[in-house]
Parts: sequence; C-alpha cells; structure tokens
Amino acid sequence: MSSQCSDNYTGKAPAVWPAKVNQIPKEVFGDEALFEEELKKIFYGDCWHVVGHFAEIPNAGDFKTFDLGRVPLLISRGKDNQVRVFFNSCTHRGNQLEVATSGNRKEFECPYHRWLFSLEGALTACPGSKEFAPDFKQENFGLMEVKSAQFMGIIFVTMGKNTPPLTEWLGEIVPPTLSTLLGGDGRLKLLGYQKVRYDSNWKGYNDNDGYHAPMLHTAFRLLNWQGGTTGFQRMTKNGHVVFEAELKAIQNNGFVNDPSLVEFKGSDPAKGSRIVQFFPATVMVKHLDIINLRFAMARSHDVTEVHYAYFAHEDDDEAMIQHRIRQSSNLLGPCGMISMEDAAIFQRIHIGNQTPGFAEFQKGVTSLSEIPMDVKQNDETGNLPRWEHYRKVMGFKREGEK
Amino acid sequence: MSSSSLLSSQSAISHKDKVAALAPDNFTWHGYSALETQWRVERLLSRYVACIDDDALEHWPEFFVAEGCRYEIITRENVERGMPLALVFCNSQGMLVDRIVSLREANIYPQRWYRHIVSNVLIQAVAEDHLEVHSHYVVLQTRRNGQTSIFSAGKYKDRIVFQNGELKFAEKRVVGDTHSIDTLLVSPI
Ligand code: FES
Ligand SMILES: [Fe+2]
Repeated sequence: MSSQCSDNYTGKAPAVWPAKVNQIPKEVFGDEALFEEELKKIFYGDCWHVVGHFAEIPNAGDFKTFDLGRVPLLISRGKDNQVRVFFNSCTHRGNQLEVATSGNRKEFECPYHRWLFSLEGALTACPGSKEFAPDFKQENFGLMEVKSAQFMGIIFVTMGKNTPPLTEWLGEIVPPTLSTLLGGDGRLKLLGYQKVRYDSNWKGYNDNDGYHAPMLHTAFRLLNWQGGTTGFQRMTKNGHVVFEAELKAIQNNGFVNDPSLVEFKGSDPAKGSRIVQFFPATVMVKHLDIINLRFAMARSHDVTEVHYAYFAHEDDDEAMIQHRIRQSSNLLGPCGMISMEDAAIFQRIHIGNQTPGFAEFQKGVTSLSEIPMDVKQNDETGNLPRWEHYRKVMGFKREGEK
Repeated sequence: MSSSSLLSSQSAISHKDKVAALAPDNFTWHGYSALETQWRVERLLSRYVACIDDDALEHWPEFFVAEGCRYEIITRENVERGMPLALVFCNSQGMLVDRIVSLREANIYPQRWYRHIVSNVLIQAVAEDHLEVHSHYVVLQTRRNGQTSIFSAGKYKDRIVFQNGELKFAEKRVVGDTHSIDTLLVSPI
C-alpha cells in the first residue's frame, strides 16, 4: 500500500515535528520564510561559521570577501600579519567597501567619498573632515570588526552574543580528525578554487556532501576501491560529524587507463579519507592526497553557493604539488569524475522534497525516540544529531513535548 | 615557491596574451598557405565541438595527440591569481578516455544538451612543429525543462600540431571567464 498525505500540503515548515526522530518534515527545505528565521537564529546567531583559511591570504595585504547569510564580510591580513574579519562596509554611509572576491591591496578605499582604511581597519583619511559633525572623531570610525577565532588556520566568525568559545564549540571529537585533514598542522598552500552554485537548500547540501561513497558513487565500485574496516563516524551533540576511513591502494581492474591519478603519493593510506561536516554548512574533506575545504554560503532557501578550495602542504616538494594539482583537478567536487553525483543529488533532494511528508532516515536506526550518538561507519543515522540540534536551535517542538 | 612558477611549470602555452600576438600574413606550414592553414584550423575546431555537442564523446580523445597531450579546463580567476588548480586536467590520452568512460558508466547527472559556439579564431604564432591558436567559445546549455542558458564563456588556447596528415591538439587549454559552475561539469568543453 502506498502512504497517504492526510492534510493539505502548504509548503510551510510545521512548528511541531513528529515524535519519531528519523523523520524530518520535508517542508524545511523549501520554506522561504523559514530561511529568514534561520538567518537570525543560526547564521547571525550563537554559532561559529567557517569563512576561510589563513592559506587563502598568505601575505600582508591579501584579502578575501565572504557572505555570511546576507552580511558581507572582508577578511584582511594586516601589515602586522594578523588576520582580521570586518564587515565589508564603509563606516561613512555604509557603501560596500571591497567588491573583489580576493586580491591584494595596500589599503581599502571607499570610492564614494574617498574614505581610506588601513589593512588593519583604521580610518586613515577622510577628505573634508573639517566640515563633519561636531562630534566626529576619526579614530572612532575604523572598520567594524566581527568576532573571529581560528583553528589551524581555519577562520571562524560569529555574530551571536552568547556563542561558546571555539574550543568548546568544536568539542573533543572534531580536532583530531580535523588536524589530520589539514596535513597535521594546517600549514597549507592554496592551489585554487572551484566555485559552484547549487539549486539546493543549504541543509540539503550539508546533509549530503559527506560520506555516502559506497552507495552513490559507482566510480568507487568500478575502481574496485574498498575502504578498510577500521573507519568510524562520530558526532557531536551540537551537530558536527566526522568520518575517518582507511583507503586501500587501488587494485587496477582495467577500469582506469591511467591509474596514476588515484595513487597515494604523500599520505598514509590508513589516513586515506577524512571528512568533517561542521554545523551548520561547511564540509572539509581529505581524500587520497586531496585537501579540500568547502566554504558554503547559504544564499536563499533554494540556492547554496560553495567555494571548493584546494590546498597543498607548505612542506610539499614540486612533484607532490603537481600530484595534488592533478588529483584535485579531477576527482572530487562538482567536476570530479568520482563524485560529481553529489551535485545532481543536491538538486533532486531539493526538488523532490517540495512534497508532503517526511524525509526518512532508515539505515542504522535502532530507536524511534532516542537520538543515536553511537553509529556505524556507513549508517545514515549520523545525520540525526545534527537535525536534532537544528530543531532545538530553531525552536521546533516534537509531538508530545511541552 | 611562488605560485607563478607553479603555473609555468605546467603549461607550454604562453600567458602573455594581454597584447595579442599575431602570425604574419603570409606563411607556409607543412605545405599549406596561411589561408589554408586558417581554414584547416577552423575545420578542426568545428569538428571538435560537433563531436561534443552531438554526443560522440567516445571519439573526443582522438582529437588529441596520442603521446603527451594536455587538456585542461581552468577558470580565468585561478589563472589571473596564479593558481594552478583546474576544473578538469588530463595529461595523458588515458585520462581523456577515463573521463568519458566515467561519464558513460559511472556518473549520475541530469541529461542536458550542450551547444558550443566558437569564433574569433586567431593563429597567434607559427612554429615548425606547432601552431598557437586562440579562439572564443560559448557553451549554451539546455536543460530538460527546455530552458537554455549560458553554461560557460571563455577562450580556447590551443597548441596544434600536424601529425600523419592531420591536425591534432597537443594541448588544449580552456580558460573560462565563467567561474561559477551551474551545478556540475561533466562534459568536456
Ligand atoms: S560611503 Fe564610503 S566614503 Fe562615503
Ligand atoms: Fe559524494
């Protein structure tokens, strides 16, 4: 028998979620008004958000811009070598200060009335200030800084008033995996970007850009690419998920004409695959010799933009760099021959969930009332603590809950 | 190591195209006049894009030399910032074949049609063993809902050689102005 929808479908996310913890109301993916609430409670709320890595702006004067929700940020490395995150907005009339996505500057000049800001954010010139308001003081008009913190060069920001310290927010599970993923110490060298626009809600993106290789990616199977048995999946109560998996070197079964592409050159196959999925949106991956940080921007309820940044390690020799470039340019991400399915899936999840009912989690579900914190490597249930955290942050109740 | 040396160690094609170099009006290349060479180059490009748009991708690797070919799709943003990462980067014909096998047998993606428009074909340099040719391309994409959009616009920077009576790509560098990919890139450009 087919399942039936009893109520009228409204497309609006329900305020009360089912008692069963493995059911997610599908409307959360397509509800435009809900996105506005998410901006307030998550993106502008008491969460840390990944906006970049130090290696993207290695030299004094290097900058990049980033949007946190609709808030434009300017991330700058000062002459003092400090990385600071500012609101990308002139302190005069609020003009967007920097329009490039990245580059190098001696200072930031607002084109409107030529206010000039140093790399460290100070207002250094403002023509005609003799005629400014009586209380105007140049030193009070530096760029507004956003609260930031870093872990091995990953830059996190928060606009919340009650965000816990970063170390607390990361918890104990995330740092060890993250550190292996970042080459042990985060001393990375930027190789470049692949930038993609997904017609997908950010939750659909984050929920699916992690570990699902054995099912989805035929190329893995065609390559006869078996993961080891020592892997695991662990979650934190505040919505992060980490994966560790061994990757056996490939047995060439004739599927690939040029197997050199899928070799390990630098890293230990036992540390072959590492994934960190941060709450709410960012995913980081190490696979073979690829180091890939995926800076995600929730643009609207139905668009997510992701900048896939790829890195080498500072200690790499020339041959290793070339190998990383080759792997990074071919295997993962939206053009990668072994995982481009992800992109197609994000969009289909988004379209398919504009229907009544629930997105169901099944594999690994052992209880309908308890959020599982101990799951197997390929269980779907690793996503449930994140959904539970999301539900709580957003203030949705469960059936039967007061 | 500076990132510009990363780049130059990779590609044989010069990046100094701010001022367009130009081959002389009159030259002969493997017995062909300048005019006939131009015509043969344009025919190669037309056949190349027809191969992709008509979904004859199994023949796509044949447009490249068997030994030591190089095919790359890279964004102009990465190039201008001296970053070597590409969207697709193959430096053996085996890799070209692997891309097509993967596309046919492994990858899941929504069916879509591509339509390449190539123009402004300019022979920039003529050497005994190769031509350096730049041209502009636009790839239109028609999705299943029937709507057509511009998927990618950019420039082909090709190194073309004469082999067994035919013109082949020794190197094809696709530099895309478009650096925001619409969902995914599965087909060659
Ligand atoms: S708004 Fe920037 S100088 Fe006036
Ligand atoms: Fe995947």
